[in-house]
Amino acid sequence: MIRLEKVSRDYGENKVVHALDHVDFEVSRGERVAVMGPSGSGKSTILNLVCGLDDPTAGKVIVDGVNLAALDDDARTRLRREKIGMIFQTFNLLPTMSAIENVSLPLRLNGLSKKEAELRAGAMLERVRLGSRLDHRPDEVSGGERQRIAIARALIFSPPVLLADEPTGNLDSSTGEEILALLDDLHRELNTTMLMVTHNEEAAAHCDRILRLRDGRVVGLTGAALPAGEGR
Amino acid sequence: MLSMLPILVEITWKQWRRHRLRTLLTLLGIALGVSVLFAVRTANLTLLASLNVTIEKLAGKATLQIVGNEGGFPESVWETVKDTPGVYVAQPVIEVLGSTAYEDGGNLMIVGVDMLGDRELREYQFDEEGSEIADPLIALAQPDSILISRTFAERHQLKDGDKLPLYTAHGKKDFIVRGIFKPAGIGEVFDGQIAVMDVFNAQFIFGRGRNIDRIDLMNDKEVTVDELQKRLRERLPAGLDVTRPAARGQGIENAISAMSIGMTVASFIALLVGVFIIFNTFSISVNQRWKEIGILRALGVERGKVQGMFLLEAMLMGVVGSLIGVALGYILAIGAERVMSEIAAKVFSYVATQQPPVFRFDYALTSFVIGVAASVVGAVFPALAASRLNPILALHNIETRQRENVLGKGRIVAGVLLVMLGLGLIRFGPMRVGINFQFSYALLMLLGLIILLPKLSELTARVLRPVMDRLFGSVGVIAVDTMIQAPRRTSATVGALMIGLMFVFSMGAYVRSYQQTVSRWMDRMINSDLLISTSEMARSRTYHFSPELSGRIATLPGVISLENARILFVPYAGDSIGLVSLEMEGWFARVNDVVEDADAGVAREKMIAGDGILASRNFASRYGLKVGDSIRLETPTEPFERPIVGLLEDYTSEKGSIFMDRALYIKFWNDNAVDMIEVNLKPGVDAGTVKREIERLVKGEHRAFVYTNSEYKRWVMNLIDGFFVLNYMQMAIAIIIASLGIINCLLISVSERKRELGVLRAIGGLRSQIGRMIMLEAACIAIVGLVVGALAGILNTYFMVRTAATMIGGFIIPFRFPFEMVLIVLPVVLVISLAAAWWPARKAVRMPVIEAIGYE
Ligand SMILES: Nc1ncnc2c1ncn2[C@@H]1O[C@H](COP(=O)(O)OP(=O)(O)OP(=O)(O)O)[C@@H](O)[C@H]1O
Ligand SMILES: [Mg+2]
Repeated sequence: MIRLEKVSRDYGENKVVHALDHVDFEVSRGERVAVMGPSGSGKSTILNLVCGLDDPTAGKVIVDGVNLAALDDDARTRLRREKIGMIFQTFNLLPTMSAIENVSLPLRLNGLSKKEAELRAGAMLERVRLGSRLDHRPDEVSGGERQRIAIARALIFSPPVLLADEPTGNLDSSTGEEILALLDDLHRELNTTMLMVTHNEEAAAHCDRILRLRDGRVVGLTGAALPAGEGR
Repeated sequence: MLSMLPILVEITWKQWRRHRLRTLLTLLGIALGVSVLFAVRTANLTLLASLNVTIEKLAGKATLQIVGNEGGFPESVWETVKDTPGVYVAQPVIEVLGSTAYEDGGNLMIVGVDMLGDRELREYQFDEEGSEIADPLIALAQPDSILISRTFAERHQLKDGDKLPLYTAHGKKDFIVRGIFKPAGIGEVFDGQIAVMDVFNAQFIFGRGRNIDRIDLMNDKEVTVDELQKRLRERLPAGLDVTRPAARGQGIENAISAMSIGMTVASFIALLVGVFIIFNTFSISVNQRWKEIGILRALGVERGKVQGMFLLEAMLMGVVGSLIGVALGYILAIGAERVMSEIAAKVFSYVATQQPPVFRFDYALTSFVIGVAASVVGAVFPALAASRLNPILALHNIETRQRENVLGKGRIVAGVLLVMLGLGLIRFGPMRVGINFQFSYALLMLLGLIILLPKLSELTARVLRPVMDRLFGSVGVIAVDTMIQAPRRTSATVGALMIGLMFVFSMGAYVRSYQQTVSRWMDRMINSDLLISTSEMARSRTYHFSPELSGRIATLPGVISLENARILFVPYAGDSIGLVSLEMEGWFARVNDVVEDADAGVAREKMIAGDGILASRNFASRYGLKVGDSIRLETPTEPFERPIVGLLEDYTSEKGSIFMDRALYIKFWNDNAVDMIEVNLKPGVDAGTVKREIERLVKGEHRAFVYTNSEYKRWVMNLIDGFFVLNYMQMAIAIIIASLGIINCLLISVSERKRELGVLRAIGGLRSQIGRMIMLEAACIAIVGLVVGALAGILNTYFMVRTAATMIGGFIIPFRFPFEMVLIVLPVVLVISLAAAWWPARKAVRMPVIEAIGYE
């Protein structure tokens, strides 16, 4: 479902930072992979590459059989809208919009009428157990609820791929637990392929495999063997 | 505060560097406002200086000048002056702003002097080489002689002995160039568009009879100027003024005051729009720096200091912007002065000798201070908001950013009350309680509207929402929502637009109403079949017909009768009023029912007999006079006094006008010049045919403009348009600054919402969708601005027709708002704001998403 082939990503011109350095790995359909590693090891960079917001300096990023490099910006945006859900560490909800407006946004960008979009968004919010907070704005709900709104938005297209960057990083442990349980449920229902950045071993335990990074390199992939001959 | 100053300045500086474009646009907003303010005052001053230079150069060494009203005064006065002890030399002068018969029809200032004595007063430096004439001034004795400046000679490739065709009161005449003077002294006047001829020739040539315009004189050494001035005043009729040349500038200043008041009002409008731009910038800046403010507060910076920091920043912006503004204004002044001097020459027949712009430090300083103050005022509310910020909330993420406070009920009530109060005062308030006081009515309404602005924008936007949904789908709705959800940002831009458009609409409505009123009036008063005028500007101050021309026109086949009219301005009660003299018998025969407040039959008898005058309504109300009261005027002969025998509606002058019989005028003013000839034709005769006939008669002889009745009416309408050209320029300035406001707002909107836009892109918004959204937002702002601008325009039009018109113009003008104008302006504003949105939209589209999301 997601495949990175010898992906490198360098930043800067004079003082070059190798955010990712020849990274290879594959995530199959329905699989959940936790990405772990110290700060600055390139975790967020991987997510940015997978969702097509960023381009690798070298190597290929293949999502659902498509090489992202072959797509133009609009095609990537559409891919992101329909096939990839994104959950950010800092929620990134639009502060001026209510929960239901935030969640229905991707649908409406896709041309759905407001009415229909909000119908579906309402159902999705119901699923993340926020049926009672539809018309609240992000600043009127708690942090966990905010993250659930963000999850509802990410899942509104029932995307085959879900990318999450420290979805529990900003939450206390019990709320974090709640969110992880929710992601478990959704995975069971939709069989989503998931790539989740986390610092938390317990969160990682919810995943099938753990990809460990250090200084932009893969230093370990537990739960399954590395593809033959590719280990370093 | 002082101890923290360096660090606060540093924080401010970092902000400026980070938001360079925004800073630049804001500075530009202030700079433009200040520059217009400074330019108008400088241009005005420069124009006056240029007009004064003309007077001075023309006055030569004269220490005193004797001037009458426009019609001049009898040359016999000259004898009296010459015989007055203490007068060393006295020279008669005639000044005419004439017109050459060249294709391009340039204006030429023609000065008539007495060739024998004038050398003692004025400096003439003649080109010696190539001239066979021993003394060019003596050569003037020949009636076809004319002396010209070298500049003019070069412009038209003239040399000694060449012919120069001029339009005179007796038709086109060729003059012979008998001398060319150097561009020094008198030769510099009016940029060299100047010629000299014999004064007694000029009298005849320009139909002045035995009148002269001026006597220039020098005092004997034994007598002081003041003493001589007193002596002359005692001896001369009261209608004549004895002044120092330098003091004459005052009169000119009064004459062109209407023009400069209008410009000054416009420059304040420009500044007001600038205040909105500042307000906008700072609201956004406060919003954007939420976190920074929160951190500062958390680190122990007091409320007052946060507020102080923003005010300081505003002041710094004000200082830099105003400095740029003053410099820019100085450059702008050069252009503005050109336009103003053109109008001064065309409308008022005052000739300017181009001067470099006058730099007045005190003007620069006041403009600068006003600019800085305006900046600080614009930042007061945002700074207050910043200081009231809850630091705990501010330290949270964007989701917890305080929502912009929506307008409370109290403010709505206050806004509505202010508007009502302003309206009430305009409707029921006493008239003439003072110009500044009455202007405050309009300010009250404006203030009320500004308070209501967020609500008004929101209401309009809500109406717009379903329309945008239907037309553009979700992108359209998001665009409208963005506006609704940021009422402060939106209303700051809309406010700038509102003020600009208010100005455009109410000015347009005023001009329209004025034209309509004049048109109704013309239907009653202007009903001769043909009208012949001396100038393309209704009348000329210096160029007239002689009665002999109308004598010839009267003999044309098809003409039953004609009336000669003389229209001029005469001094009255320290001001000047219009005086219209015409042949009353004929006039009464053709006008419809014009006499008001009196029995028309009785009034007619008295007018024809020369036993009374008619006064315009605005004259009567301006001076508190009614039928039966007498008015007294000083004339070049003896004092004139007649009762008002009736009132009439008239638009000759905003200062009021009086009508009298021509014979009466000639008797008292000793002036038989003609400014306009009104021709009545036999029934069934084609006006066009006679018009061509007359044109044939005057062709190549007179500078005359012949109009049929309908042409004349149309021409008057255009003339009104022409007079308002300055106002149209002001409208353009208002629109330019408002556009700047839109660009500023959208740019700010984009950078403020960088993260939001990034999120939109991250969750699947296409580049084209983001771009379209910004463009649509701009369109919505334009429409909302148009709607509230129209509302403000209606209110201000009401003020203009009721208060301003009666106060400044003395006319009561019916209220009518030209809604079709709103429709005409709609596409203009849309195009402007879409153009303004182009760059911000591009910027938004190109923004790297990851950076935007990571943006704090
Ligand atoms: N836009 C950029 N320009 C320059 N360097 C960058 C940029 N973005 C990331 N980097 C660098 O690339 C490296 C990897 O960054 P990345 O954000 O992927 O780290 P991360 O593993 O997500 O860290 P964290 O756990 O702190 O979020 C870091 O050293 C970072 O400094
Ligand atoms: Mg990261």
